[in-house]
Amino acid sequence: MKPLKSQKELEQLRTKLMDEMDPKKLCITVCGGTGCHAYGAGEIAALFKKEIEDQKLEGKVDLLVTGCHGFCERGSIVVIRPKNIFYCSIKPDDVTEIISETVLNENVIDRLLYVDPKTEKKILYEHDIPFYKNQTRTIFGKNGIIDPKSIEDSIRIGGYSALSKALFEMKPTQIIEEVKKANLRGRGGAGFPAGYKWESCRKAQGDIKYVICNADEGDPGAYANRSLLEGNPHSVLEGMIIGAYAIGASEGYIYVRSEYPLAVKLFKTAVKKAREYGLLGKNILGSEFSFDVKIARGGGAFVCGESTALMASIEGKPGEPRAKHIHTTQKGLWGRPSNLNNVETWANVPLIINNGADRYSKIGTEKSKGTKIFSMVGKINNTGLVEVPMGITLREMIQDIGGGIPNNRKFKAIQIGGPSGGCIPDELIHLPVDFDSLTDAGAMMGSGGMIVMDDRTCMVDVAKYFVNFLKDESCGKCTPCREGLIQMHSILTNISEGQGIPEDIELLESLAAVVKKVSLCQLGATAPNPVLTTLRYFKDEYIAHIDDKTCPAGVCKSLIQYEVDSEKCTGCGVCLKRCPQEAISGEKKKVHKIDQDNCIKCGICYDSCKFDAVKVV
Amino acid sequence: MKRIGVFVCHCGTNIAGTVDVKKVVEEVKKHPAVVYAVEYTYMCSDPGQAMIKEAISKMGLEGVIVASCSPSLHENTFRKTVSSEEVNPYLMECANIREQCSWVHKDREAATQKAVKIIMSMVEKLQANKPLKPISIPVTKRALVVGAGIAGMQAALDIANSGYETILLEKESSIGGKMSQLAETFPTLDCASCILTPKMVEVSQHPNIKLMTYSELEEVSGYVGNFKVKVRKKARSIKEDICTGCGECVTNCLVGNEIQLPEVGSVEKDLSVEMKSELDEIIDEYSDEVGPLIPVLQDINQKYNYLPELALRYASERLKVPLAQVYNVATFYTAFSLTPRGKHLIRVCQGTACHVRGGAAVLDELKRSLGIGDGETTEDMNFTLETVNCLGACALGPVVVIDEEYHPTSPAKVDKLLKKYKENGGEVGK
Repeated sequence: MKPLKSQKELEQLRTKLMDEMDPKKLCITVCGGTGCHAYGAGEIAALFKKEIEDQKLEGKVDLLVTGCHGFCERGSIVVIRPKNIFYCSIKPDDVTEIISETVLNENVIDRLLYVDPKTEKKILYEHDIPFYKNQTRTIFGKNGIIDPKSIEDSIRIGGYSALSKALFEMKPTQIIEEVKKANLRGRGGAGFPAGYKWESCRKAQGDIKYVICNADEGDPGAYANRSLLEGNPHSVLEGMIIGAYAIGASEGYIYVRSEYPLAVKLFKTAVKKAREYGLLGKNILGSEFSFDVKIARGGGAFVCGESTALMASIEGKPGEPRAKHIHTTQKGLWGRPSNLNNVETWANVPLIINNGADRYSKIGTEKSKGTKIFSMVGKINNTGLVEVPMGITLREMIQDIGGGIPNNRKFKAIQIGGPSGGCIPDELIHLPVDFDSLTDAGAMMGSGGMIVMDDRTCMVDVAKYFVNFLKDESCGKCTPCREGLIQMHSILTNISEGQGIPEDIELLESLAAVVKKVSLCQLGATAPNPVLTTLRYFKDEYIAHIDDKTCPAGVCKSLIQYEVDSEKCTGCGVCLKRCPQEAISGEKKKVHKIDQDNCIKCGICYDSCKFDAVKVV
Repeated sequence: MKRIGVFVCHCGTNIAGTVDVKKVVEEVKKHPAVVYAVEYTYMCSDPGQAMIKEAISKMGLEGVIVASCSPSLHENTFRKTVSSEEVNPYLMECANIREQCSWVHKDREAATQKAVKIIMSMVEKLQANKPLKPISIPVTKRALVVGAGIAGMQAALDIANSGYETILLEKESSIGGKMSQLAETFPTLDCASCILTPKMVEVSQHPNIKLMTYSELEEVSGYVGNFKVKVRKKARSIKEDICTGCGECVTNCLVGNEIQLPEVGSVEKDLSVEMKSELDEIIDEYSDEVGPLIPVLQDINQKYNYLPELALRYASERLKVPLAQVYNVATFYTAFSLTPRGKHLIRVCQGTACHVRGGAAVLDELKRSLGIGDGETTEDMNFTLETVNCLGACALGPVVVIDEEYHPTSPAKVDKLLKKYKENGGEVGK
């Protein structure tokens, strides 16, 4: 491929690619996201390929392995386009039937369709499924129709058109104005307006400037950035190039966490392809502007998601943050002006340039514009990635898109924003999801992890979990974070083990206040949030642990025991066989019994009982 | 056998709150030498001291043990008490059951037993004590500080500044010690030499400090105030007063490295040809990069499944990054391991989504089933168990990744999952 030399050449290529594509041609789309992969998508795609070859269908049917479609709960997912027939929970055995029935004879296979749990009706098309229907998938939607390895696929659907518009029809300052007008706020957590950040970096003194993409998605329970990088890497890259042009940066870095090897691989491919096509490197699309991107892999340290720590890590040092008296837009990577935004923020940029700020800002609330991708996981029916307009209520997200709580249990809380965020209770389910109302409620947008919790989730345990996480991830540079979190963890451990005393709550609150106030970076400053919000909304549970020595949700091991329900137990003997401690006794077909002295509370009996006869008391 | 009395103090609730003092009294009475034992709220109070005095005269005690706080607090008090009753003050011993027992323990029963043990050992010690009389002897007011690292130098300076003659002894040929090898120091991140160098100069110029480098302490005898030490000055074979420390003799020595300097390039000798070329290949790939330490270590870690020490030393030399900094990076990031890992790497996700769906129980079950803890490797080097804070596969939770394969799992499924990797040397699953 010869590098493209002008705007016109790019458009000619796009037209050619679009002409080559027959819109009526059948295309089998297999979701290749991590979730579906674990359910056998790799094998399914290979079987489709073989079947297509065996039946000599190469000219008639395309096979497309895409990035994540988002509906991870129902993996593996196969969509037959152009009709968008949606098959879910596909097993390798289903491949032959899909080819012979749906592909060759246009028959729908009923049993592979999605069943709406509310109406119990089968749904044929992807766009009619409530999980998709209620979303606004402006950024994430393209994942399902392109091969992330193919730059041609991206160009065909309009990729790099925003870049060419920016380069040839706009001045850098105009781009910044447009981004400011669109009120694009950073999707990494704090929601700082990207346009203002760009502007201050543009104005900063320096011969070399950097743009950096933060793909160190360390928040546990969030994987939206991963799926974006793995599903549509070119959209992120395009955003970065536009940003670099607006800021006047010549070099870029993307910092990807080590747990995402596939994202690294796909982004490497994207960068290589973009260079070949003249969309990256010297004189992009024949213009005066030159820019290139390097990939830095993380080392498994959560704190590296913090901007100064991330930059230290790129420089080859331990990822320890510094105080930000001088912003990174003035002195960042290698002491030079650096502009850092996260994956999703960059992916929003082409959208703003293509459609204009006015159209972009039609979606969302007054202060939070556009859409946001969340990973909705935990105790919810439709786990997966959802893209929603800012301002949607939590209720709509949980009930309409998420499909409610499994096994008809009671919704208790939703944890938003990872370890820096907080738990929002049932009473606030009407809350609109935008930057400011979440912060007011004690949580934060974070990188978009939403963990749904039901009445079997213990809030003390959740708080303990996050503090434990942060205590391990604290880099240790400043004392309040390093020592304060250890103390908070030991108090929470005491409470969860039934050793808590009433004064503990006050002590926790005062410790939290200190850690919040005096920590060096945002890791420490937001670390007490999970404790503070659970104390704010679920104090009863803390009191139950401390005064009554009980765990209402039945989670804290020291405060619970497993028992066999004599009415439900059929005496099948499965639990007896599985128990690693031989703590279960009983004759066949008679009620079994758990010896509490030997029980280590591993939960295997509870897990393996088919009759729900093991209960937590 | 001396006739001994034991006086157990409650110290309010400080001791009695944790130690069962009544039981202690009963137990110590069993010792044949203990002719009298009693407990009281505050032994150091006037009534408490009166009890001791009364017991000495009534019971004819020859030795006294006060089981209370640290001797640094009340040893003098009780010595005076007993001497007023004509008992030699050195036949009074404090058994510290507060700082060394009640304050540091929670378990009442165990603390009580420990208190008894502490007192019993004092009873035995007191048997061997002899009446002593204070005498005056002349003292040489001169100090010796051994080791001229940062702590030794500071100690020498403090003593010297108080007006005493000080000898600072150092076995190496230069002072400064370990700190001179550090790039920066915690927590201010000041450069180490910025703190160290001024002190080195001050030590060498201080009129009260006599510096003895390249010298080792051979023998210490005597007692507090009158120590005798023997110092070996190692042979330098040069005229110290003329030497400028230019180092020419070291480089031009025909006999060899008689003078020991840290060797540069010693790693290469230890490396096998194969490993060297493997490492070169990794490092060469980043020859154009600025700050390539982390990617180099990542590749080494991937190649050998951990970071071998030799590889770290070699990388340090080739990249011209101090070994301390390499070590700093290697221990900071959790993706690196300094110990060899097993054939199969099991990573258990501890992300929030996995946690609320029972991720901790899966980890417990894996630990139990493999018999190893987090971060450990099985003896047959087949499995290494690690936790990871989120694998980004939240919809599958709780999830375990073995090698690169993702497995949605539950405690009950663990055994079945491991079985696959135990058989066939683990070729299944790929």
